[in-house]
Amino acid sequence: MILINYLKSTILSKFVMAITGVILVLFVIGHCVGNLQVFLGKDAFNSYAYFLQERLGELLWLIRIGLIAAAVFHIITSVWLKFLNWGAKPTKYQVKNYVKARLTSRTMIWTGIMIFAFLTYHILHFTMGVVHPEDYNKTDYYVTNAVSVDKVNNGTLNDTEGSDECCAEGTATNAKESIINYNGSMYKVEGDEPILSERHDAYAMVISGFQKPLVSILYIIGVILLGFHLNHAIQSSFQTLGYNNPKYFPKIVAGSTILSILIVLCYIAIPISILLGLVGGRV
Amino acid sequence: MTLDSKIPSGPLKDKWDKHKFEMKLVNAANKRKYKAIVVGTGLAGASAAASLAELGYVVEAFTYNDSPRRAHSIAAQGGINAAKNYPNDGDSIWRLFYDTVKGGDFRAREANVYRLAQVSNNIIDQCVAQGVPFAREYGGLLDNRSFGGAQVSRTFYARGQTGQQLLLGAYSALSRAIGKKQVTMHNRKEMLDLVIIDGKARGIVTRDLVNGKIESFWADAVIIATGGYGNVFFLSTNAQACNVTATYRTYKKGALFANPCYTQIHPTCIPLSGEHQSKLTLMSESLRNDGRIWVPKNKGDKRKPNEIPEEERDYYLERKYPSFGNLAPRDISSRSAKEVCDEGRGVSATGFGVYLDFTDSINRLGKKVIEERYGNLFEMYERIVGEDPYKTPMMIYPASHYTMGGLWVDYNLMSTIPGLHILGEANFSDHGANRLGASALMQGLADGYFVIPYTIGDYFARNKFDKVSIDHPEFKKTESEVIEKTNKLLSIKGKKTPTMFHRELGKVLWEYCGMGRNEAGLKKALELVPKIREEFWQNLTIVGESNDLNMSLEKAGRVADFLEFAEVLLWDALERDESCGAHFREEHQYPDGEAKRDDEHFAHVAAWEFTGVGNKPVRHVEPLVFENVQLALRSYK
Amino acid sequence: MRLKLFIWRQKNAQDKGHMEKYPVDDVQEDMSFLEMLDVLNEKLILEGKEPVAFDHDCREGICGACSLTINGIPHGHEKGTTTCQLHMRKFKDGDTIYIEPFRAKAFPVIKDLVVDRSAFERIMQAGGFISVNTGNAIEANSLPIPKKNAELAMDAAQCIGCGACVAACPNAAAMLFVSAKVSQFALLPQGQPERKRRVLAMVNQMEKEGFGACTNFYECEAACPKQISVRFIAMMNRDYLCSRVSEPVEV
Repeated sequence: MILINYLKSTILSKFVMAITGVILVLFVIGHCVGNLQVFLGKDAFNSYAYFLQERLGELLWLIRIGLIAAAVFHIITSVWLKFLNWGAKPTKYQVKNYVKARLTSRTMIWTGIMIFAFLTYHILHFTMGVVHPEDYNKTDYYVTNAVSVDKVNNGTLNDTEGSDECCAEGTATNAKESIINYNGSMYKVEGDEPILSERHDAYAMVISGFQKPLVSILYIIGVILLGFHLNHAIQSSFQTLGYNNPKYFPKIVAGSTILSILIVLCYIAIPISILLGLVGGRV
Repeated sequence: MTLDSKIPSGPLKDKWDKHKFEMKLVNAANKRKYKAIVVGTGLAGASAAASLAELGYVVEAFTYNDSPRRAHSIAAQGGINAAKNYPNDGDSIWRLFYDTVKGGDFRAREANVYRLAQVSNNIIDQCVAQGVPFAREYGGLLDNRSFGGAQVSRTFYARGQTGQQLLLGAYSALSRAIGKKQVTMHNRKEMLDLVIIDGKARGIVTRDLVNGKIESFWADAVIIATGGYGNVFFLSTNAQACNVTATYRTYKKGALFANPCYTQIHPTCIPLSGEHQSKLTLMSESLRNDGRIWVPKNKGDKRKPNEIPEEERDYYLERKYPSFGNLAPRDISSRSAKEVCDEGRGVSATGFGVYLDFTDSINRLGKKVIEERYGNLFEMYERIVGEDPYKTPMMIYPASHYTMGGLWVDYNLMSTIPGLHILGEANFSDHGANRLGASALMQGLADGYFVIPYTIGDYFARNKFDKVSIDHPEFKKTESEVIEKTNKLLSIKGKKTPTMFHRELGKVLWEYCGMGRNEAGLKKALELVPKIREEFWQNLTIVGESNDLNMSLEKAGRVADFLEFAEVLLWDALERDESCGAHFREEHQYPDGEAKRDDEHFAHVAAWEFTGVGNKPVRHVEPLVFENVQLALRSYK
Repeated sequence: MRLKLFIWRQKNAQDKGHMEKYPVDDVQEDMSFLEMLDVLNEKLILEGKEPVAFDHDCREGICGACSLTINGIPHGHEKGTTTCQLHMRKFKDGDTIYIEPFRAKAFPVIKDLVVDRSAFERIMQAGGFISVNTGNAIEANSLPIPKKNAELAMDAAQCIGCGACVAACPNAAAMLFVSAKVSQFALLPQGQPERKRRVLAMVNQMEKEGFGACTNFYECEAACPKQISVRFIAMMNRDYLCSRVSEPVEV
């Protein structure tokens, strides 16, 4: 219980909201930058995904636990405060007009709840593969002892694409040249023969996931809600943490709006590009 | 009755120090055995309650507002005087004393005024220590400005809200004492009567304004700090609830009412716009520094001010007082405005207003300078009147603002009833016949912080107090009188509201006992007022119950007291057959319109004793002795 | 002009209360909002009906007594103005005006439009002062204060304690009121000795009184008749956090 003792103070609660919020915003930004690599192609994206999942090791779980904790505290505190706030104003005005409060600030709890629902779905889809498992269960084979080269077109291909039996050993044996073509990309192999490894095909998962219009639309809505939420949240965290200088605060408010719009645009660029066939057409 | 002012002997400068030494003390451990009631929690009341509590006395404080912070001291704009002499311009305690006596047209007690000047410096120290954000120079030290009636800069200020900041300072001290359970605070409780047992003031009877309960409270001393009676004129710059009830009812119980005819009229208020108006708003007098006052030359000229050509305007102050012009003293300026309006040359919808024109100043100095000086005042004017004073001349008219008269007190601030102390605007003591700007705040705080904490101890130490309780027959008797009066008000069931009677009374007083008074008018008013009062008790209507929040019942009780009190005011104005300060008897003036005092016959305080409603009260006299200043013509030329 | 008023009528604290319709004629534009209500009340009294109870006193915008929510905005729609200074010329002929009391759990209705704001008193009593007994003070000019700080302290000190901030806040938070007092003293050297104790005690009392939490809507600042800035809330947040960390004594 000592963990939620802070709820006794509204200011401390707000402080927890702000700190956990800042952590989650940083994640949202990081996640966004990561996701944008989908525009760099399959290999880059899958390498990034592989890096996150396999290379980080325990650190990944540390980050995950951190994020989950932040989210849990963020949610518990917000729900607690919401009930407290409802209780503080038991009788509503018959007529109410707002002067400064914007739609985004007044709907934080609702956008929050919807974002939470969306996030659950999003994790079940892309992180855990529980919904639409066909998207998730894709494997990517890649050459581990090679570096990709451009404009090389005379290599020979020794392997067939994505055949499971072949890759069980994780190697390709027929390479003679130092330049090979694998999966349509050209590689310069360091040894005599390329070594193939397998990894989760996140790229294909994203492409096939977003090629379903319904999934894309859901995603776009979720991200726009997130944008609404962040529009109020970012500047609000400055105020709660005690920074409100009349000279800079208007800039912070404007910056908060710009940043939240930027985040929305970056995120929704992905499903839109996929739906339009600009990305992933080759899958 | 002889009025003993108990002024200590000895040189003026040493009187207060000598007195402080001669006063008996209450042992620190015994202080908690004495209880004081403080009625009113404005500057004087809050500062007294807090200071007494800090000393260790048991204090119960009362206000009819929902918080002590609402008291009307909060509305004072200008500032507070003190003889700090920070600007190095020759100020001193003696000069502040002299300016105040002279400003009061030599109708105040020397010793009281000197003490006021002495403690003025402590007040500033105290307020700064409480965190009052006075205006400062870039060097971080306190700023001063000059104010009417003084040639030195001695006024400390916090923007245009000095009264607010000082009251909030006293309120914070009071809040601290309440939090420490040293003061029991009673909000929304109005004092309706005083209880006297064995000749001493021993308690009060109050009405709870929320549930109508009539309750009694006992104490060893009662302090009344309930402000002035300016609302007797109906329209004034006072707050809506300001009233004479507490002071008037103690007067009925035997305290004397001194100099009620000294009522100050402020020349620069926003004029009346119609019958519905509930109050007049004051604007800083500093406006007269840059504005020119005029009315049309011709009667009933209804043209817009900007359409009236220069030669058809009458800049009457500049014409009549060429050397002083628009900066003529408050009373002269006020009376001149009334004169031109009575001639039918007044402006505004009601005909009671004169122009205060900034066109010349704007042309000379530029709009920016005027905006810097008066921006917030112009804004306030525009909000209330709906006209832009940068384009159309402002309209102003005088309004009742402050009352110098009040219950008679001696040097210890005790009235003729032992144990009944009166502080602040509610007493009569320090301003004489006229009050200087920025002196009201000073007096209220001086009484509360630095006088009563000493003198009440002397009263406690010199007297023996039998134990009383609120079951004492005197309390029961007073309670039933109060209940009876309340029920009587509710039972009339006539056809006129309390406000209608109040407005009627106000009109009579403003007409005959306002800025200019004369024998015939005062006598006429003395005939009119009893008639209104008579009708009041026959034709009043109030809706609602006595055991409920009932604002028209509250109002009716206050109006009933104003209707009786008005006669005391009129008698005083009639009997003081001289002009002095704010009391202007048209029969007594110099050719230039200055008030003509009659020092031979009227260099005294007139204190009135109640003899029954409708009867002429008895006038007692306390001669004023001037040993240190020479009585001179009050001239600012 | 003619107006249609809907006014909250509530007999006492126990009564449920309801909106009642009052048409008023011959409203003049020079009237203040409260004078318009005076006219209505005079009419009601003469008709033998109970007048509408509302708090008011100075009628010049400084005492903080008046407290109406007009068309859903405390003190009405005009910026930086109390109800008593709001004039009828800001309305149009034929307007419908809804008049309700300040709403908050911590401000229970006493009758009609009158609410009990004593929660503010108790917050002040908990710590809204500098502990200096009468006579203790040092010479005023021995404590220079930078003009900038004095001015900023004055900006905060202007609060009239009307409670519009609470009424405007959808959460009924009292942060603007409390932070104005806390910041006034925090900005002045006189306030330093008790600075931590004060902010902890005042916030603690504020939370006991049942005010809501601040969610940075900034409606309080918009409704404040003295236009006190929400930056003081940020200052108080900072002060509170620092004090919570560094002040070992429970208050």
